[in-house]
Amino acid sequence: MADRRKPSAGAIYVLLLALAVLFAGPFVWLVLAALKSRAEWAAIPTRILPAQAQWDNFTAALTDINFVAYTANSLFLSTIYAVLVTATSALVGFGFARLRGRGHRALFVVVLSTMMLPQILTLLPTYVLFARIGLVNTYWPWVLWGLAASPYLVFLFRQFFAAIPRELEDAAIIDGCGWVRMFARIFLPLSWPALITSFLLSFTWTWGDYIAPALLLDVDHTTLSVAITSWYRDPRGNAIPTVQAAGAALYMVPVLLIFLFAQRYFIRSVVTSGIKG
Amino acid sequence: MAARSWSRYSDRTFYLFVSPWVAGFLLLTAVPLGYAFAMSLTNFDGSSPRWRWIGMANYVELFGDADAWAAMLRTLAFAAIVVPASVAGALGLAVLLNRRLKALGLWRTIFFLPSVVPVVAMAIMWKLVFNRDSGLLNAVLAVAGLESITWLVDPMAFYALVVVSLWGLGGGMVITLAALQGVPPELEEAAVVDGANRWRVFQHVTVPMISPVLFFQVVTGVIASFQIIVQPLLLAETNSISGVGQVPRGTHLYMVQVYEEFFQSNRFGYGSAMLWVFFLVILAITLLVQRSSRLWVYYEVDNDGRS
Repeated sequence: MADRRKPSAGAIYVLLLALAVLFAGPFVWLVLAALKSRAEWAAIPTRILPAQAQWDNFTAALTDINFVAYTANSLFLSTIYAVLVTATSALVGFGFARLRGRGHRALFVVVLSTMMLPQILTLLPTYVLFARIGLVNTYWPWVLWGLAASPYLVFLFRQFFAAIPRELEDAAIIDGCGWVRMFARIFLPLSWPALITSFLLSFTWTWGDYIAPALLLDVDHTTLSVAITSWYRDPRGNAIPTVQAAGAALYMVPVLLIFLFAQRYFIRSVVTSGIKG
Repeated sequence: MAARSWSRYSDRTFYLFVSPWVAGFLLLTAVPLGYAFAMSLTNFDGSSPRWRWIGMANYVELFGDADAWAAMLRTLAFAAIVVPASVAGALGLAVLLNRRLKALGLWRTIFFLPSVVPVVAMAIMWKLVFNRDSGLLNAVLAVAGLESITWLVDPMAFYALVVVSLWGLGGGMVITLAALQGVPPELEEAAVVDGANRWRVFQHVTVPMISPVLFFQVVTGVIASFQIIVQPLLLAETNSISGVGQVPRGTHLYMVQVYEEFFQSNRFGYGSAMLWVFFLVILAITLLVQRSSRLWVYYEVDNDGRS
């Protein structure tokens, strides 16, 4: 019976605290770096706390690069993509959940297998193609990617719509309601948790994306993610780690807030798509 | 049973609904892949119009390319370390949190948040932590009286990348925790009544019950580690897009190698051949993983409505 003894509560909290320090350490170090002067950052031996919080680093982060303009670019791209991809993925997900047509099962297998296809594989040739037809330095690639629906979100919506009772569908058909109207008037209003999840997920994908804007957009059109990695430099071209830390903190706060507030939706959606994955 | 004259479904409606995805798949997945295959049969350099067909020469060269082989093996090794470690770590954390705890939400959030940090911020953050002279890790080592380590160059860079990847395992923890909470307590109690100890209950009841979720994490984890490219690029010393040359050997994963062929050597043809080989390798490994699922994944009921 000895092994049924539970570990003491105290031990568990000590373990949790140690793990929490490991997971939160990098965040804390980033914030501390953002509050140090450059000399303090470079000091040997390493100083843990700044003598005085250098809030100027945040001002510099906002002004050294055109932070507002890059934020606007990021916001614009992320919103366009998120709106379009949520709309098209809901449509397609509904099609796979509630409709039948020749080859629907085979098509759905293709959807599932494209989920397994690393996007980086298609990105490089897509970039070459887009360059040929003059889409570099425009936002059209994100419009096209949005219109194309995302297999992951299609799957999310498909799982969501498949769980809605068939009686609702039968009643609508008896009332003479067509599929398009049924989708728009009955199913879509019911699916706002999935819609929110899809919007937030796809928004943060684009907000956090680095490689596509780095390849496709120039200095004026690019996003915040590219700007903060490269352009916090002193006149001699050296990176300024303290200001970059401040910039990175400002850049990721919106994403962290989104996930903090929407954690519940997000978890539920990942769980439903995960279990039957 | 239904009257033949009336049909609930029409092909046209179905295709109308799924058409965005079908068009997108053809234009933005199938066409680029086909285009890459065509490029892989040429010596195209990305700009010059004077390219020509060279048949399978790129593939022949790739077969004898020691750097490409090394990058491929390194990528496989990376996945073989990171995927099991993060699935196991996520499971461990989930088990730890799957009990009555004070401030449960806070603990969960602390472990979960790193997994949603955008990759760019993640790289900047970890560069600060791994910094040789001013980094957190070396500061801790100094307190312990140990020598500083240069983390972001060989031979440590590979392990640094592993650490960065494991830091994000909180996403898996959240999924696993939800799965654990879905395991009916009667099952575990029944096993205890039958005389099983805690470890055996965990091993023979809990883990099989949540195996679909673990499987999901293995599949997505494998795919995610194969496509890693941004972390090595940004963790390297020169963090601009042209800084690929400085990526240390240890984090020179396959996609970094492909990227280098494209944009440093301007060998678009050769890079495309590398992409296609990678595509086939990924396909094979995904099939293998799917096959293995029959051995260890338990599906309770398949009430998916697959009619």
